[in-house]
Amino acid sequence: MRSSKIAKITVQILGIVLLVPLVAMATLRLSHANADGPSILFPGGALVSGELHQGPEPDWAFTRQIPTIELQLYDPLSSRLIWIIESEGRIFVASGYMSTFLGRLWKHWAVQADSGDGMAVVRIDGVRYERQLVRIHEGPILDGVAAVMGEKYRAPVTREAIEAGNTWIFELAPRG
Amino acid sequence: MSWKNYLMLCLSVIAVVALSVMYVPGVGDTIEGGLLLFLSTNAQ
Repeated sequence: MRSSKIAKITVQILGIVLLVPLVAMATLRLSHANADGPSILFPGGALVSGELHQGPEPDWAFTRQIPTIELQLYDPLSSRLIWIIESEGRIFVASGYMSTFLGRLWKHWAVQADSGDGMAVVRIDGVRYERQLVRIHEGPILDGVAAVMGEKYRAPVTREAIEAGNTWIFELAPRG
Repeated sequence: MSWKNYLMLCLSVIAVVALSVMYVPGVGDTIEGGLLLFLSTNAQ
């Protein structure tokens, strides 16, 4: 009788201890969903603030000094922080762990971008750029992308791993 | 504590935590900062 009472109290305390962080995380996740951009951990909503770039393509070399950018997809409408890779005057984003079930679940945005129209907006240094995500499956440009990922982020990525589908690379191409 | 009272306590905790995260300045940032620190410390 006494031991069952202790077990009941233990279960109740454990429940409260688990409940507090779960509710906090869920609330943070929901409260960020409509925010103007993501936080470090949680996806955000549409990127609305910042000047919208018009005119010719910029020289993307300045992104070599920028660790992360904000990337927003339209379908579904959500944004996240992501690495940016510049190579040969073109810019790319990467999604790793794509050969695993958990990776594809975690990086679901990449699956959606690949299967959808890829329409996106990126915000870099407060300026928004309308782009289209185009997946690069193969080609010599991937050598440069992998090299930049290694130098800039110390990510052990190879062209072979990209072409095998372990890491997906999307070019942030101008909208056609 | 009876299960009925425990359920009421849980609902109260949910309300207090959710409202604190949403409306008390700094609470959300502090939680996120702590989680980030935990993840960066323990990630391989």
